[in-house]
Amino acid sequence: MSPTTYLADSAQAVLTAILAAGQRVVAPVEQAGLLAFAHVEQAEQAQLIGQTRASAKELAFPRTQRLFGYRFGNPGVELLPGEEPPAPTVLFGVRPCDAAGLAILDGVFGAEPADAPYLARRARITVVGLSCDQPQAHCACTAVGLSPTATDGSDLLLTPLAEGVLVEVLTARGAALVDLLGEALRPGAADKAEVTARAEAAMAPRALPAGLADGLAAAFGEAAWADAAARCLGCGTCAFVCPTCHCFDVVDESNLRGGQRLRVWDACQFGLFTLHASGHNPRADQAARYRQRALHKFSYYPRAHGRPMCVGCGRCVNACPAGMDIFEVAATAAAGQG
Amino acid sequence: MSTETLLTPSAPDTATWKPRLVAFVCNWCTYTGADLAGTSRTEYPANVRIVRLPCSGRIDPHFIIRAFEQGADGVLVSGCHPGDCHYTAGNYHARRKFMVLHALAEFLGIEPERLQFSWVSAAEGRKWADVVSDVVAGLLRVGPVQPTWGGAGELPVRSLSEPPRPVPEPLDVVGELRATAQRWLSDCRVDVFVGYGQGSLPGRLRPAFITSPDEVDQLVWNEHAVNNLATYLTRGLVKRHGRVGLLVKSCDARAVVGLLQERQIEREQVTLLGVPCIGVEVDGALAPKCHTCDSAWPALVDEVLSAEVPLTPVDGEGLAAEIAWVEKMSPAQRRAWWQAQFDRCLRCYACRAVCPLCYCSQCIADQSRPQWVSKSSDGRGNLAWNLVRAFHLAGRCVGCGECTRVCPSNIRLDLLNAKLAQVVRDEFGYVAGGDPDLPPPLTTYLLEDHEEFIR
Ligand code: SF4
Ligand code: SF4
Ligand code: SF4
Ligand code: SF4
Repeated sequence: MSPTTYLADSAQAVLTAILAAGQRVVAPVEQAGLLAFAHVEQAEQAQLIGQTRASAKELAFPRTQRLFGYRFGNPGVELLPGEEPPAPTVLFGVRPCDAAGLAILDGVFGAEPADAPYLARRARITVVGLSCDQPQAHCACTAVGLSPTATDGSDLLLTPLAEGVLVEVLTARGAALVDLLGEALRPGAADKAEVTARAEAAMAPRALPAGLADGLAAAFGEAAWADAAARCLGCGTCAFVCPTCHCFDVVDESNLRGGQRLRVWDACQFGLFTLHASGHNPRADQAARYRQRALHKFSYYPRAHGRPMCVGCGRCVNACPAGMDIFEVAATAAAGQG
Repeated sequence: MSTETLLTPSAPDTATWKPRLVAFVCNWCTYTGADLAGTSRTEYPANVRIVRLPCSGRIDPHFIIRAFEQGADGVLVSGCHPGDCHYTAGNYHARRKFMVLHALAEFLGIEPERLQFSWVSAAEGRKWADVVSDVVAGLLRVGPVQPTWGGAGELPVRSLSEPPRPVPEPLDVVGELRATAQRWLSDCRVDVFVGYGQGSLPGRLRPAFITSPDEVDQLVWNEHAVNNLATYLTRGLVKRHGRVGLLVKSCDARAVVGLLQERQIEREQVTLLGVPCIGVEVDGALAPKCHTCDSAWPALVDEVLSAEVPLTPVDGEGLAAEIAWVEKMSPAQRRAWWQAQFDRCLRCYACRAVCPLCYCSQCIADQSRPQWVSKSSDGRGNLAWNLVRAFHLAGRCVGCGECTRVCPSNIRLDLLNAKLAQVVRDEFGYVAGGDPDLPPPLTTYLLEDHEEFIR
């Protein structure tokens, strides 16, 4: 590959060039007083400061996805196709935590047996990351081994510097996008270390204790989970806003004429999630459900994949109506073992 | 990202479209009346599909919502005239439910032509034919239900008729609060005290569960005490402790009244400590509910902190001003406005989880056999869910605002709740959360309840 870094005037200028190149773009926009990823047609629509309320996962893993449809005929049943994935899209202004979240989902849905509906959408997404220069109070990427300028999961990463923006080309898909952008990018290099250091210094200190995965596993049977989870309402907001949570339910919606099989988001915090047809529920109370969340993120997944299933976006901490803080709960539970 | 939702049904072909009218009718009067129309060869449009039920009292609003969700263009509901019910009072009960549903549909901007009510007796075959003809003519006028309502334009989410207000300095009651909790726990009057503790993010409080008199120093109180702690009274992880001492603002106390009224908790199980509250902060400003709150205590509060502190009622129109603002829009605009709101719904059901009065162990939205509310997070599914949620809280919602606070999509559930509270107050003279001995308004009726909306 030719130079792997470029310089541009600003993130806005890069977005303008991407739109001018005729690309379909989804970027953070302000909707109803909150930031959300949505389709944009003009660069000014994008809001490039702050964190979206929900993560970027919805583009690849939509909250409702048709797997297939069917129509009752005479004779037999006619099968109808699943959803048509949206047109190729540049997902612009994705924070490093969110981009890393997509990388985690790629691993989960890409593992055999590969998840075709996810991959069909994912193959059409080019991720343009945007480093954070203003972390928020709930940000915790450094606690999970990432940073406000981390490159995981991005095809291109833009880092705002004093003199403009540094564009790092990280994948062939990123390079293909750069090829479309012409004059907006100038070959050039710059050091982002200072920006990284400044952003990291602005973050509240949060850390995960050493040996967390094993400590949590050992704490599985502790009665203390009931106290830790007492305030949790089981509302599932944490999972719905999380960039790495990926549980889903498969439901049929049908009537006399036919129907469709859908995949819809689900969450381990719901009682219904593990309810058996017999009526037995192996996770009978919120303590067991919350424990599942903590252990999946910080014990089961890391033991299998060598890193937490959390990218430290802090959304769950920020959005939880009951003030649950998964970092705090996980660390306390593991320490209780020590 | 509603633009990505692919499940929205496609727009019907207007050239070949024929209205589909679903009629829910009672067995004894309207069905017999329709039968009479048939046997007397009275002609009327063939667009109607009749569903017969034993009584109009059995016509659950879910049937109506489900019919729309499944693609009906209109719904007609019909039963016996007042006084004629085969089961004495089924139609009186139905009338109240339909009144509320009708008002809700209107508030959402759903064309009145699409939801019609009538009384048709067994002898009124002619009336049945006329009603159906007229309703079908109305549907032809408004046309097919569009998969998306469209046309919201740039309407703001919040009316600015009542500008945000600063939050008054909270009263300093922390010392007294801790002392009281300590006394209650030491005297074994309660086994757990539920109040507020410091959250893990700056400026946030969160629920705290204190089980020992030595831990009361964790308790704090200030304008960030937003949670309605009454929701914990029905939770297993709290109930396991035994008797609960609960810190309540006056709005929260109203939810406790609701739980008692609906027999979800025993009076002896809970001891209430009222905290004089002059407003809490949501999104950096005084919570809208606090604009109109008079901070008065329901009689059942056991003790009140600093009882001698006079509370200044915060005056203002609060949500009423915003309701008026929504109602000033044309129905089409209103529909578009709500559609834009509901499109954002993730179907996380956090609104349900946080609500002290949403305590069902199995919610109708979670049922799959039969399915009442589609799981699809698309226009119709989301509309159905939001209708069901709002309707179930009609006459029960105490306006604590928690559902709106927690909605990750900033959907204005508070306006739906407040509108239905207005309807219930104006029509049935009832305000939720006042007297635990009163029957909830949708479980009772008056002979003279209004019925102008019924043909
Ligand atoms: S941790 Fe918070 S956001 Fe998650 S289910 Fe519990 S109350 Fe809801
Ligand atoms: S668990 Fe919380 S902090 Fe971690 S990725 Fe998910 S939402 Fe972000
Ligand atoms: S909390 Fe909001 S997004 Fe979630 S189900 Fe309720 S209305 Fe929908
Ligand atoms: S519906 Fe909303 S405002 Fe009403 S009681 Fe429930 S949580 Fe409170």
